[in-house]
Amino acid sequence: MSLIVWISIVMALAILAAVFAIESKNLMIAVISLIVMNFAIWIILLMFEATLLAWIQLIVYGGGLTALFVVVVSLTENQKDETFDWTRTTIALAVVAIIVSLLIWVVVDYGNIPIVGDPSTQFPASIWENRVTDIILQAVLFLATSIAIGVLFLQHKKKHKEVTKS
Amino acid sequence: MMDQIVLLILAIVLFGVGLYALLGKRNVIKILMGIEIMTIAANLVFIALGTEFQTIGDETFIWFTEFALVFPLISLAVGAAVMALGLALVINNYRHAKSVDTDEMATLKR
Repeated sequence: MSLIVWISIVMALAILAAVFAIESKNLMIAVISLIVMNFAIWIILLMFEATLLAWIQLIVYGGGLTALFVVVVSLTENQKDETFDWTRTTIALAVVAIIVSLLIWVVVDYGNIPIVGDPSTQFPASIWENRVTDIILQAVLFLATSIAIGVLFLQHKKKHKEVTKS
Repeated sequence: MMDQIVLLILAIVLFGVGLYALLGKRNVIKILMGIEIMTIAANLVFIALGTEFQTIGDETFIWFTEFALVFPLISLAVGAAVMALGLALVINNYRHAKSVDTDEMATLKR
């Protein structure tokens, strides 16, 4: 079999595992499905010869975060099953179907997909050029978060003073 | 390239699955799983857009631009930190609300 057939099989496995992880009633089985999905992504990345990223992805997501998920699921056990909400599910599925079909149409219709980044440019300079907007947004987010935490802290202090006075 | 389109379609479908979890589920742990799936999808897009296929003779070589080498690593690190923080918040909120259901967590005062 050619490589594209193998990639398609592993892709289908990854998507099925992801859907099973979201739809499974038992949270521990959902975590196991997440591990299967991470393994499928690992195989796909190895097929694309992105070896370093494949291993880091497997270690961080398939290993570390899965362990955290297992701990959280075991600490929050004895949960009652989530009741099925038709309205919420229908709206979510409709939104997802519209977005996914639109994106797939754009990708397939675009034809020649551009390659982002130029290997010939100087490495640190090109990283900076690519990251300027990202870093500015992060700075804005950091400032907003700092202000919000400061306001919450002051409110908490004021409330604490009032309680101790009374 | 065909392989790029395949990787992009996988990323889009995985992003859709994650978005469905975010919009349609009430269990916080499942919502966090959805966010993890969406982060993986974003990483796949980074790799797909930064992969260059070159055919020399009969052999096809794959090259990665600095975009595909650096951005997924940063995204992985940030995504792992976000997930750890989210799971810590779930545990903390579970101690107060005794539930991981978002509707039951919605009340701030108890």
